[in-house]
Amino acid sequence: MEKYYDVIVIGAGAIGSSVAYHLQEAGFQTALLEKKDVASGSSSHCDAVGLICDKLPGIDTKMGQASIDYFGVLAKKFKYDFEYNPKGCLYICETKPEFDAASEYCAKQNADGYPMRMVRTEELCEMEPYIAKDLYGALYTPKSGSVAVNPYKLCFAFVHEAKEAGLDCYTYCDIKSIDLNKETNAVESVETNYGRFHTKKIVDCAGVWAPEIGKLVGIDIPIEPRKGTNLVSEQTPQLCFHKILEYGYMMSKFDSINFKRAVSPLVDKQNIAFNLEYTMAHNLLVGGNRLFRGMDTRTEIETMKAISERAMRFYPKLRDIKCIRAYSGVRPFVKDHLPIVSDVDSVPGFYIAAGHEGDGICFSPITGKFVKQLICNEPTDFDISKLDYSRFAEKEAIAS
Amino acid sequence: MSIRKADVLVIGAGPAGLSASIEAARLGADVIIVDLNMKPGGQLFKQIHKFFGSSAHHSGSRGIDIGRMLLDEAKDAGVTIWLKSTVIGIFPGKKVSIEREMDDGTSELVTLLPEEIVIATGASENVIRFKNWTTPGVMGAGAAQTMINVNHVRPGKRVVMLGSGNVGLIVSYQLMQAGCDVAALVEAAPKVGGYAVHAAKIRRAGVPILLRHTITEAVIGEDGTVSGAVIAEVDEHFKPIPGTEETIDCDVITLAAGLKPTMDLIKLAGCELTFDGVFGGYIPLHDENMETSVRGVFVAGDSTGVEEANTALDEGRIAGISAAVSLGLISGSDADERRDAIWERLDSLRMGPFGERRKKEKDHLIGLFHEEVKDQRAFA
Repeated sequence: MEKYYDVIVIGAGAIGSSVAYHLQEAGFQTALLEKKDVASGSSSHCDAVGLICDKLPGIDTKMGQASIDYFGVLAKKFKYDFEYNPKGCLYICETKPEFDAASEYCAKQNADGYPMRMVRTEELCEMEPYIAKDLYGALYTPKSGSVAVNPYKLCFAFVHEAKEAGLDCYTYCDIKSIDLNKETNAVESVETNYGRFHTKKIVDCAGVWAPEIGKLVGIDIPIEPRKGTNLVSEQTPQLCFHKILEYGYMMSKFDSINFKRAVSPLVDKQNIAFNLEYTMAHNLLVGGNRLFRGMDTRTEIETMKAISERAMRFYPKLRDIKCIRAYSGVRPFVKDHLPIVSDVDSVPGFYIAAGHEGDGICFSPITGKFVKQLICNEPTDFDISKLDYSRFAEKEAIAS
Repeated sequence: MSIRKADVLVIGAGPAGLSASIEAARLGADVIIVDLNMKPGGQLFKQIHKFFGSSAHHSGSRGIDIGRMLLDEAKDAGVTIWLKSTVIGIFPGKKVSIEREMDDGTSELVTLLPEEIVIATGASENVIRFKNWTTPGVMGAGAAQTMINVNHVRPGKRVVMLGSGNVGLIVSYQLMQAGCDVAALVEAAPKVGGYAVHAAKIRRAGVPILLRHTITEAVIGEDGTVSGAVIAEVDEHFKPIPGTEETIDCDVITLAAGLKPTMDLIKLAGCELTFDGVFGGYIPLHDENMETSVRGVFVAGDSTGVEEANTALDEGRIAGISAAVSLGLISGSDADERRDAIWERLDSLRMGPFGERRKKEKDHLIGLFHEEVKDQRAFA
């Protein structure tokens, strides 16, 4: 079978589904190729929030806010319900030094116009009646900057809406090769188990697997898998009322911020960053950590133990609640903590939208929009030159 | 979190697990067997009927007596038995975490580092979905059997049984022995699924067997539990024929719709699986030594395909011997001699109209293992 498409999108996680939706809706005849099923990789092995308060001030936060706003628009527009649920977020500061650092962060974000504020112990205990009483305070972000969605349903929603507009979605699709023009090196076709698809444009949205696709066109995409684990509790009455994270989360996310927490060697070694949310199904999701284990997504008992230990420190009541399962996944990690949303100079027609690390769900709506704007040669909503693929080439040039 | 070593960890203390642990311990292995129930023996302890088969397979004995015998043998062989102990995960590096309930009701998390693992987790009951199938009073036939034969509690007064396989027939009879009234046995197929001898027993007791019928709805009573079963005739595609509905008063509906292998831990261990209709669902690929595609992970019993207690016992023995070979406690050639003898017995069990199909399938599956896995076993 030979077919012709305006654009081929590779990977049906949150990013690829969104990109495919935006392109199809803009009138491009699009095919979405997925090696397994929709939402079978990182987008179904993650948690379910979009926040601005876990982003560095600047473009990171700007993209986060734009995406969170956009979720609201999509929730109204889509027939498919992805459980859009704005809820406030609390970044717990265990100690005064953490509180001071968070206050500084809060002031910077306020200066850029984002509403957040610091709360002290008493108010924190009112907002979260089951939280430990000895915490110094928290950074509070209101609903406008913090939203929960169901990540599976988000992917299904994008694909469903795109199919309504005429998208062809190929699951269990093996990509055997990508053929480039011998003279111009431009994208020409993709050879798959479904046959040959001719196209002038390919968007690589394969997340941690994006480098494999990159290899097919001879480029190096510097994304590494970074493992995370979540525990799932039995159904419980509502134990927490906001998205809860510990400020140490920032520490494990951005190595540049160096707080030393008073934690056990196990928690330290496992790089645990406590976070907690109450799902619409009345279970608690308890996370999390960041470890480099290659593509091994098997859950480790030490991680489970360490997450439980840290979680019970913040919510002592968790001691009485059973964990029913745990799952692990891999995030697409890029050294500078910024995704790659870009064309590729050396391969005309090849685009990358990957490397969102732990922000793939949050950034999926805006990323889809950016890719559509790039392909249409329209100006992007705001300057995303920092997300350009060429930044790695420049660094290499400087290094050599 | 305490950590403990062992030569062999056997998961599941039913017939397969117990016999695996006995063989391995007799050959000198330090064996721990864990089971989440309060009593060991798996399904044996609720089988109060006499077994069929050859004398090598305890024909004429009741399951419950075979269970007691195995338990004594395991204790004599020095097997450590942990009850009320749930395996919560098999983790990288063959770490097995077990939540152990202690005598004082508290629980302890133990991480075991076994050299070899035998997974003998048995099977679980299939359900049939109809309107109100989650109403209290609708249960698996096996669950009803556990209630009467193990816990000595009647599930209700009047029962409608769905399914006429051996489980449906035997449990119907045992429910009557326990003092329940069996209002009807409903079967969608045009003939009884199980042995005629079992069917004759319940027919003699006056229980109607309604062939080409199914249950379409559980009627909910005022107290929110089952108060009746709506049954209907089915056409040749097993679809209920409108207008044939009839309500039978009952307070229990039991479902005997077959079993499927319990695969959770086998999947967690990373074993390669295949789907097999004859054996009831997904099962692990294994070789003739009962070793899976993961080195040092063995399987036995219903979790390798739903059969019966006698095949489980023999598969368990093979797995136990093979674990001892891995540990270097017995030479390969000595082990082969023993295993060959057991295979011969197994072949004799897998005869007759039901057995032959299973033998053919088991041979096919072992062939599939050698084609797909060969010597490329993974490490846990």
